[in-house]
This record gives sequence, structure tokens and C-alpha cells, in this order.
Amino acid sequence: MTARSTLPPAAGMGWATQVTLFIAVLFLVCAWAIDLTPAALANLPRQMVTVLSFFYPADMEYGATRVWPALLESIQIAWMGTIVAAMLSLPLALLGARTLFPRIARLVKLISATARAFPEILLAIYFVPIVGLGAFAGALAIGISSVGMLTKLGSEVVESIDMGPVEAVQAAGGSRLLALRYAVVPQVMPEIVAHWLFRFELNIRASAVLGVVGAGGVGGVLLNTLRYRHFEKAAAVLLLTILVVLIIDMVSGGTRRRLLR
Amino acid sequence: MSEAIDAATTRPLRPARNWVLIIGALGMVSLMTWWSARGIGFSIIELACNLPGGRRLLVESWPPDWSFFPRLLGPLLETLQIAVIGTVIGGILAIPIAVLAARNLTPGFLVWFVDRNFMNILRTLPDLFWAMLFAAAVGFGPVAGALALTVFTIAVISKLWSESLEAIDMAVPEAVRAAGGSWLAMLQFGAIPQALPHYVSYTLYAFELNVRASMILGLVGAGGIGMVLETQRSTFEYPRVTLIVLSVLVLVLIIEQISESIRRRLI
Amino acid sequence: MNDKAAIRFKGAGVVYPNGAVGLAGIDLEIKPGEFVVVVGSSGAGKSTLLRSVNGLTPLTDGTITVGGQPVPKKEGRELRRLRAGVGMIFQDFRITRRLTVMTNVLVGRVAHVPGWRAMFNLWPAADREIAFKALERVGIADKAWVRAGDLSGGQQQRVGIARALAQEPAIILADEPVASLDPVTTHQIMRDLVRINEELGITTVVNLHFLDLARRYGQRIIGLRGGELVYDGTANSVTQEDFKNIYGRDPDAGDVLDEREAS
Ligand SMILES: Nc1ncnc2c1ncn2[C@@H]1O[C@H](COP(=O)(O)OP(=O)(O)O)[C@@H](O)[C@H]1O
Ligand SMILES: [Mg+2]
Repeated sequence: MTARSTLPPAAGMGWATQVTLFIAVLFLVCAWAIDLTPAALANLPRQMVTVLSFFYPADMEYGATRVWPALLESIQIAWMGTIVAAMLSLPLALLGARTLFPRIARLVKLISATARAFPEILLAIYFVPIVGLGAFAGALAIGISSVGMLTKLGSEVVESIDMGPVEAVQAAGGSRLLALRYAVVPQVMPEIVAHWLFRFELNIRASAVLGVVGAGGVGGVLLNTLRYRHFEKAAAVLLLTILVVLIIDMVSGGTRRRLLR
Repeated sequence: MSEAIDAATTRPLRPARNWVLIIGALGMVSLMTWWSARGIGFSIIELACNLPGGRRLLVESWPPDWSFFPRLLGPLLETLQIAVIGTVIGGILAIPIAVLAARNLTPGFLVWFVDRNFMNILRTLPDLFWAMLFAAAVGFGPVAGALALTVFTIAVISKLWSESLEAIDMAVPEAVRAAGGSWLAMLQFGAIPQALPHYVSYTLYAFELNVRASMILGLVGAGGIGMVLETQRSTFEYPRVTLIVLSVLVLVLIIEQISESIRRRLI
Repeated sequence: MNDKAAIRFKGAGVVYPNGAVGLAGIDLEIKPGEFVVVVGSSGAGKSTLLRSVNGLTPLTDGTITVGGQPVPKKEGRELRRLRAGVGMIFQDFRITRRLTVMTNVLVGRVAHVPGWRAMFNLWPAADREIAFKALERVGIADKAWVRAGDLSGGQQQRVGIARALAQEPAIILADEPVASLDPVTTHQIMRDLVRINEELGITTVVNLHFLDLARRYGQRIIGLRGGELVYDGTANSVTQEDFKNIYGRDPDAGDVLDEREAS
């Protein structure tokens, strides 16, 4: 509805038709470029079924001995990255709010945008040689990219609050710091903690893949099992990962909903 | 004055805090943190010991090896192609999945329940896991990457859009039904037009995510620039790694700027 | 009553950065313990006048002295010390809705306790006592531990008043304190303000939009128009003609509260 009103009406062919046609042509060109032929697509379901049949039965002994510890390590990486990022991003979120610190905010926003631009896995590529193979590199990568995101979201929460109470604290003779303490922080805390939890949910997924570049966790296990075509072992990785992520999503999501109520 | 004294007797006691909840939450968080810190060998000392090596790496990584750039153009293009294919196929497949998962539009509880859980399970696995799976199924290369992004796109769009669909005004869809229209007619004329701007916006958002993701799919052999990154990384050609990372960042930023400016105009 | 409670404007003027004139050439003296009502149409400069007294809006011309001390033009320790003795009440209450009533009132003590105590919410017993007394004075002590946002509008404004009282101020500035309240609550709050002024002798300056309220509750009425002082006299002596001069037009139903109540 709004989409229609903001774009000029085209004579003859409607703009929607034009866009659709353009996308269709673009798609065909791309498909042709990577050799994704209709025949290959048609073949796909059969191929998938064949491969999937190799996944059964899942090797749960491997699951218990190798996958479970790696999954726990993924959780530890995600938790540590989130905690460190949360602590760092709280002051940064305040400093990054235009409404409170107009001058510093620009610098903070720039820093957080830079941290956000790097996917965790690219950061991990640098941290692995610096701090060595393993989970610590993963936690650093996750932490840094989360600081960027949490600072941005936090600043947005701070910018959206009612500034009235801030002025009221200052009118009572309170310093800026006390205004933050009694007028800003209580207003923003539930939303900010909810963002922390949500980021934790995302970080579980992110930390699961970091093993691919040697930064600890369950990703490396999956890569190896598939590389050597041990599909029953890979099945154990997938099953356990799905289970753990579902449970964490449920607990974290429930807590978030309670916070924001 | 007597008024104030009367009032004094009505002063309520401060309600007891819920110490169980406070201590429980704090304890949980501390315990998790302690366990995690131990588990990943979180130590500042280790970091400090390794810093000289890190400095050497950073010194070596700069300047980027510009002469390598021509060899990146093909893979970068392939990366974008993967993202386009994943977005288009995923975007189309997400439509029925989102509709069936919207409480107000779904034709029956069982369909809704199955679809909803299917959607949630898709969401649990990270993009690179799908890439590894498809690489194992159809072989290394861009097709595996495109399929992985298809699944990832379905997961992103269907979740977000089913929420938009649940928030639409049901007056028109119900009117279509009342006039004897079929379920499909109700969708086509009553429900979907209302949430179309959201659909376009979420698809563009998924495209941004896909461009980002497509850059790293190659780390597990699923095509695109990531495959070059993986070979250079494993041979410690860090000046080339830096060049790749920089070009990836620039490309992602450009795509995001374009996509965001379109999205802003939509909603 | 002490001289700390006197406010003196000398050639006071405010020009906003965008060029808008907030106040122009105000010469005015408010004596300790007075109850002054400021009237004027929207944009006349009422808020600017009040906010210049505690330095929330710094003067660009002239001076204001509070208790003989000039109001500092920059934020800082000096200005905070002055604000500690000047309570302010706002049209939109400006309380922190997610905190308890008690904590909101204790905010009135921030400038009276060591900073670290305020920071960690560790208020001395004496200050808690003052906060409770303030709540009792506005009749909502029973709500002390309720979340401030869960109260009705009138009760929230009482929290705002209690916070100002907890400062044990020499002066209270109230910027359209009843503009977001219904008529019945409006009269209750106005009576509270008058009572506090009479019982504690706190100099009170109230901005009001409604003529009848101004005449009913004010001892002295000050009229502003276009940032300038156009009337200064007792509530009894103000005439229809004076109001016409202040508003630049005949007063109509929109300028009277009880007319609205009736309609
Ligand atoms: N922050 C500000 N920036 C620019 N102009 C302002 C600002 N606050 C008030 N003004 C202008 O100053 C004049 C007086 O405003 P104000 O003191 O708020 O009047 P009142 O409270 O009587 O409605 C008005 O013309 C108003 O537009
Ligand atoms: Mg005003």
C-alpha cells in the first residue's frame, strides 16, 4: 500500500511487473553462471534423499563423547562473548546516544559501525593466529562483533526514551551521572537486557560455526565428519545442535518476553 | 501537624524483595560465566604472551597485496550470484511457509503446528551448517552455497513475515470469504496485499544477510570468494587475506546502503 | 521566611539559538513566601521565565539573582548547588515511571547527600524520613513502594510535588502543573500548592494557562506577552481589560477551566 504511493506510477507496464521481470532475468543469468540447470534442480530431491539416508542411524555414542563437549564449548564461547560485549556496550550505548552526548555519540557510532561490519568468522581468522587455535579466539571474535551490534541497539533504546525525567534530576541539582542513574538506566534496562539475551541466541549459532576456522566449538566437528563422509556422526552433530539451540531459544525467549512485559 | 502524624501511622512497610529470584539469577549468571571462562581458557596472561606474535601478524597483514585483486573479481561476482539465487528461490518458497504459519490465515491447526515447528527448526541451524550439508550432498561449489542460502532465506523471511501477516487487518479478508471467495482468493485479494511492503522489505533484508553470508560460504567449500579466502588463510598469506576481507567489507557495505535506502522508502 | 527565597530579574532576556525571543527586558522582584501566578498565551515566555530561574535555560541578557546570588550561566557545581534549593514541578510530571514512588521522591535529595550514596541508592535514614514526610504532605504515603508509572495522573503529579518538597526548597517553580489533569484533580493539586506555600512559606511561582485558576489561586498575577512583562498586580485587581491586554484578544471559553467543565 505504502509501497505503491511512494513510487511514481509507470505508464504502460506497471512498475511491479517491471521489477519482477528484472529479477527474473537477473535470476536466470545468475543460475546460468553457476551451472544451476533445471536438470540439476530436478535431480536434487533424489540426491538429497540418498544423502539423507546415509544420516540414519545417528551415531549417538560419538554424540556423547565428541559432539557434546564441543557443543558445551560453543555455549561457553557464546556466553563469554555475550557477557564481555554486554559489559562493554552498556557505557558505550549511553555515550552513543545523540540525545545525551551529541558530540561523543558520533565517534561511538562510527566505532560500533566498524565493529559490526566484520562478520565474526572474519575476525576469528585474525584472532586464531594471534591467540592460538581454540575457544578463546572464538570468544574474542564474538565479543567484538557483539559489542558493535549491542552498542547500536542500546543507543537506539536510549535515544527513544522520555528525556523529561533526565531534566528533572538535573533540576533537583543532580549531576549528569546521577541523571543517567535515576532517569536513563531504569528506563532502558529491560530493553537492553532483552537485547543481550537475543544476542546470546544469535551468538550460539555464530559460535557453532567458528570451529570451521579453528576457533573452537562444534563447527569443526561437523566439518570433519562430513569431510570424511561419516554421515551417522554428522547426524549426531545436527541432532544435538538443533536440540540445544531450541532449548536455549526457548529459555532465553521466555525470559525476554517476561522482561518486556 | 496532626494530619501528618495520622498519616505517619499509615506508612507502608517496604515490601520484601524477592531474594530467591535475585540471588537465583545472579548465581546462575555468575556460575555460567565462571564455567565458560574456565572452559575456554579465558586468560589475560595468555593473551599478553601471544601479543608479540599478534603484532607480527598484523604487521605482515598490512599493506594488502593489491596485485592479487584481479583474481578476486570472478569469485566476488560468483558470490553475488549465489546470494541472488538464494534470495529469489528462498523468497518464493517462504511465501507459503509464512502464510501457513500465520495464526489468522492458516487453514487448520495441524498444518499450522507442523509448519511452525518446521520453521523453527530451520532457524536453529546456522548458515554455514547448511552450506556444509549441501556441499556434502551435491558436491563442493556454488550450487551448494545457493541451496544453503535458499534454506537460510526461508528461515529469515518466513519467521518475520508470518508475524506481519498476523498483524494485518482481517476486515477485508473476511469480507472476501463472506462474499464466497475461496481461501486462495482471500489470500490474494484480502491478506497478502496488506503485508506486501513488509514482504519486499524482509526480502531485501534477507538479501543483505545473504550477501554477507555468501562471502564466507566458501570456507566450507560452498563457492564464492570464501573459497579463495580459505586457501589463502590456510597458507598464511595474510596480505592477501586482508585484501579479501577489505573487498568483502566494501561490497557488503555498498549492497547494504542500496538495500537500506530502498527499504526505508517502503515502510 | 528568609532572603534565600527572593528572586530578582534585572533586564533579563533570552534569545534562543534559532533567533526566537523567549524573554525580553524583564525587571521583576519576587519576595520570599509569595505565591505568584504567571499567565500568558502559549509562546508568551512563561516556561522560559521559570526555567531561567534555575538555569535550565540560561539568560542571554541581564541577570537573575536567587537569594542575592546570581544564577550561573554554565552547568557545574555552582549551578547544582543553587538548583538544590529550587524545586521544579512539570506539566508532564517527569518522574521515572519504572522506579518506585519512594525512589522518585528521593531523587529530590540527590544534591543533599554524598554523590556515592546517591549513586548506589544508599540513602541516609534522615533523607528517607524527609522523603516520607514529603509524601505524607501530598497524601500518597501509602503508595510509597508502588511503581510510579502505575499511578493515576493526579497521583503522578503528587509524586512530582513530593520530589520538589523533598529538596526542602526555598522556592518552588511549577510549569503548568495542571495542564494534563482533569478539572477535579486540577483543583486538588492547586489547593495542595497553595497549602504548601502557606504552611512552609516556600516562595511559589506557578505558570497557568487558565484565567479563572489564576484569579482563584494567585495572590499576585504576572502577565507575559511576547516575552515581555505586560501586567503585574494582585489577583483581586486584575480586570477583563488587563486580560485582554495580556492575551492580545478577548478571553474566550478556551481560556477558562470551569467553562470547559460545564460543557
Ligand atoms: N528550546 C527552544 N528553542 C527555540 N525556541 C524556543 C525554545 N523554547 C521556547 N522557544 C520559543 O520561545 C518563545 C517562548 O516559549 P515558552 O517560554 O515555551 O512559552 P510558554 O511557556 O509561555 O508557552 C516561543 O516563541 C517559543 O517558540
Ligand atoms: Mg510552556
